[in-house]
Amino acid sequence: MTSPVTGSGEVVLDHGSGAQLSHELISLIVETLGDVYIGEMEDSAMLSLPASRIAMTTDSFVVDPPFFGNGDIGKIAVCGTVNDLAVVGARPLYLTLGMILETGLPIDRLVRVLTSIRETAREAGVLIVCGDTKVVRKGEADQIYLNTAGVGVFERTPLRMRDVRPGDRVVLSGPIGNHTVHLLSIREGLGFEQRVLSDCAPLNGLLDDLFTAVGEGAVHSVRDVTRGGLAAVLHEYAASSGHTIRIEQAALPVQFETVMATDMLGINAIHAANEGCVCLFVDPSAEQEVLAALRSHRYGADAVTVGEVTEDAGAVVLMRDADGRDSVVEELQGSELPRLC
Amino acid sequence: MGKIAVLTNDLQADVVHKTPERTSAMAEAQPHFTAFLDEMRRRGHAVYHLQLVNLPDDPNVERDLDGTLPLQRGSEGAAILADFLAEGDVVVEKNKDSGFYETELHDRLQEAGVDTVLVTGLQTQICVQTTAADAFFRGYNVWVPSDCVVSGNPEDRDRALEWLGGYCATVADSKEIFAVLDAEGGLPRKVVKILP
Repeated sequence: MTSPVTGSGEVVLDHGSGAQLSHELISLIVETLGDVYIGEMEDSAMLSLPASRIAMTTDSFVVDPPFFGNGDIGKIAVCGTVNDLAVVGARPLYLTLGMILETGLPIDRLVRVLTSIRETAREAGVLIVCGDTKVVRKGEADQIYLNTAGVGVFERTPLRMRDVRPGDRVVLSGPIGNHTVHLLSIREGLGFEQRVLSDCAPLNGLLDDLFTAVGEGAVHSVRDVTRGGLAAVLHEYAASSGHTIRIEQAALPVQFETVMATDMLGINAIHAANEGCVCLFVDPSAEQEVLAALRSHRYGADAVTVGEVTEDAGAVVLMRDADGRDSVVEELQGSELPRLC
Repeated sequence: MGKIAVLTNDLQADVVHKTPERTSAMAEAQPHFTAFLDEMRRRGHAVYHLQLVNLPDDPNVERDLDGTLPLQRGSEGAAILADFLAEGDVVVEKNKDSGFYETELHDRLQEAGVDTVLVTGLQTQICVQTTAADAFFRGYNVWVPSDCVVSGNPEDRDRALEWLGGYCATVADSKEIFAVLDAEGGLPRKVVKILP
């Protein structure tokens, strides 16, 4: 699409004016999203839900860079919200799509993002029901920011943090740290970006297969391991349960090249953000069954137990090294690594 | 057996003289560094200079305090320092830390039949480290002459050399490297165990 204003095929301020250029841009968006977009251009989407209980969530996405080796901000925007719905046990159905575009963004880059949104939404089985587009002046945003809100329905008992109890096994669905290393490597050209790829993926299929296979009660709670990494998730659960959570250092699934990169960068993989990894709190009697179910899915092939919720009172997280020594896993005070999602 | 090439990183005024510490470290290293390059050339090994050029639209580029973009293409500060250049050397522009990141370096080395690279220059803990790691991932036999890498802070250099030796490269000083070349006619590849 070439803008009549600039003739350069770039986003211009008038694309967000609500006037003719806005309509042209919206047509392009709708056309590119194709059959995953079911909006009717009313001020609100009007939807029927096949359940009386729904889950809702929202997330904003400012990832830098917006395009990376095996994904982009569009893929992350769908996966992030789909995964937030799936981890509480809901079936994701609908997403909204809000976009903030910087003047000068090439239209073909926007189309790339929209295409990625379409393909990821198709994989996740969700529909885009409404959207919004705003355009800001050059320098007021960095190319493109997205927001997605999501609605899912409960066809099973919701999973809650409060249901975690001592003895629960802590299971990870896959390696940690890869998304962070991939993005940092692209930002600075560190040489790891071809070897370490982002794990960004919609995990609702994995979790649906798991819950179907193991039945209710086997998995007490699930959380996606995003900003703050595994450490943040474990601290949240330790605080909520009032019990110490202990993980085994040797059991943590970290790709060799990711170990190299995190060692070089002075960061710890347990603090690194991920976009396609969930942490599950599993009834000990169902541990092997859960692992087998996870490993039968392509997004859970490397699932592994990394620790357990102990009987010990005290909301701390401990890491046991190969010599059996425990050390406290500190929670980061702030984000050392901004804009990873 | 493939050919051996020397890769230098960022031997440019804007990098070398960015801080007094770097200038001083480079002054100390320069005599044996240039002697190493001369001897490698004399033995028939090519020298590739990786020239860091900052692109104006790169949001991650570190600007000077006054907002000036250092290392601009064609600028004096971006030129490879004359003391390190010789006839026949190859200059390859790069825009990020690793000399392989979206550059023609890998293709040129492959065309030349190079399978072993000796990674030198500054800073050890950034461009040398990332270029060496990238070379390792691309299948090169990687050596790092410990007396031909420079950092403003010697602790950064030592930590980077330890990392390189631990993960992906053979670290030895230039005298040892020439001794190995004399004794074996080449530089043996370090066996690195990649964990599953």
